[in-house]
Parts: sequence; structure tokens; C-alpha cells
Amino acid sequence: MPAVIAFAVFIFFAVLAVVSAVLVILQKNVMHSVLYLAFTVLAVAGVFFCLEAEYLGAIQLLVYGGGIVVLYIFVIIIANLKETVAEKRGLIPRLFIIAVPALLLLEAAAVLLGNKGAFPAGRGGRPGFVPLAEMLLSTYLVPFEVASILLLAVLIGAIIVARRKLLHDPD
Amino acid sequence: MIPISAVFALGLCLFCIGLLGVLIRKNLIIMLMSLELLLNGVNVILAGLGYHLRSPRGSIFAVFVIIVAVSEAAVGFALVLSYFRQKKTYDPDEINDLKG
Repeated sequence: MPAVIAFAVFIFFAVLAVVSAVLVILQKNVMHSVLYLAFTVLAVAGVFFCLEAEYLGAIQLLVYGGGIVVLYIFVIIIANLKETVAEKRGLIPRLFIIAVPALLLLEAAAVLLGNKGAFPAGRGGRPGFVPLAEMLLSTYLVPFEVASILLLAVLIGAIIVARRKLLHDPD
Repeated sequence: MIPISAVFALGLCLFCIGLLGVLIRKNLIIMLMSLELLLNGVNVILAGLGYHLRSPRGSIFAVFVIIVAVSEAAVGFALVLSYFRQKKTYDPDEINDLKG
């Protein structure tokens, strides 16, 4: 694929991701928000494919698009979020709230523009699946195993926190 | 070749949109969704750095970030459901049970 086309596809998915991310936080209806979140997730998966991180894109599609979005939809259906909280704030808190991300964005952009030559590109071909798998299961084996323990703990913890406590049920 | 500055710009934009969503919304579910956006922005930057430096470490770190994001979503939902069952409210300003 020529470089120009790759960059154009990247820009397409990037614009899609940013626009739908803005729409996620602007929706009144939570269900619409979830649908825009799914859109954002798919666009970010496209960005991963453009960045030659195919494994990451596949994980993003499976875990986010297939798991987390469905989890959100189930929680919204179960919790029946009809009543919405009035989003009223004073002028000063609102200014602070908008200023924090804006200043962070400006600061990060200034730092990155100030150190433009600080990121020399690496050499060599594209890292495929094989180096990734070898590094994940050798250098990063301990974090990998810790992550599996974390997932087990989350599984048990989420069940314990979210279960309904039936005091009179002998089971 | 995609310039690394474009990847940084996209990741920063996603991160700041997510941060804005966490701060500005008063709906717990949308706040959790904004957290996902925030972590997605970080993942974009990690993947972009892996692409730029020609190293598989970017993808590996992003996979770990995804694992932690999934755990956070599951536990967050469990907490939201359990809290709603007890208090019947979603207003984050009302959640101050631990306030001394």
C-alpha cells in the first residue's frame, strides 16, 4: 500500500474516532452514547490496523466491540436508566472543568512540538506476530501471569460485589 | 509512513475528550464510558510508538492496558449496580457516604 493511501486511511479513521468520541459525551440518551462508543471503538480498531498492530486491532474488536459494549448495553437495560440527573453547574466550576483538559492538551502539544527531533524512527522491518508472541511470553511473562491473576480476582470480585444478597434463601 | 505526530495528536485528542467527559457528565455510566475513551487514547499512542520504533513492545503494553481496562469496567459496573440497588440514585454528587 502506498504511503499516501495509508496516511489517508489513518486520517479517515482518526476523524471518525474523534467525532464519535465527542458525540459519546454529548448525548442525552445513554443508549445513543453506547452506540457512539461502539463506533469509536471500531474506528480505533481501524487506526490500529493502519498502524500495523493487527493483533491489537483484533483484540480491540473482540474485547471492546464484542465484550465491553455488550456489557454496557446489558447494564443499561438491567439498571433501567430512565431518570437522568440534571447537569447543572455554576459558571466557575464549568470553566475549571473545561480548562483542565484544554490546558492538558495545550501543554502536551507544546512539549511534543518543542521536542520534535526526540523521537528517531526505529530501523528494521515491521515487527510481525512472531517477535510479539516471543517477547510477550518470555520478557513479559511475569506481567502476563499477573494479568491472568488480576482477571481471576476481577471475576470473583465482580460477582461478589454485584450479587443480590438474599438473606432468607438457604442457598 | 504515518507521522508519529499525527498519532500523538489523535491519542491526545481522545484522552482529553475522555477526561472532559469524566469531568463534565453527571451520569455514572457515561463517566465509565469516558474512562474507556481515555484508555483508548493511551492505547493509540502506545500502538503508534510501537509502529514508529519498529518494536512489538507498543502492542504488548497496549494489551496490558486493555486487560486493566476490562477489569476496571467489570468492577465499575458491579459497584454501580450494587450502589444503585441500595440507594436508588445515579447522581455522583450524592455519592458521599465515605465523607467524614
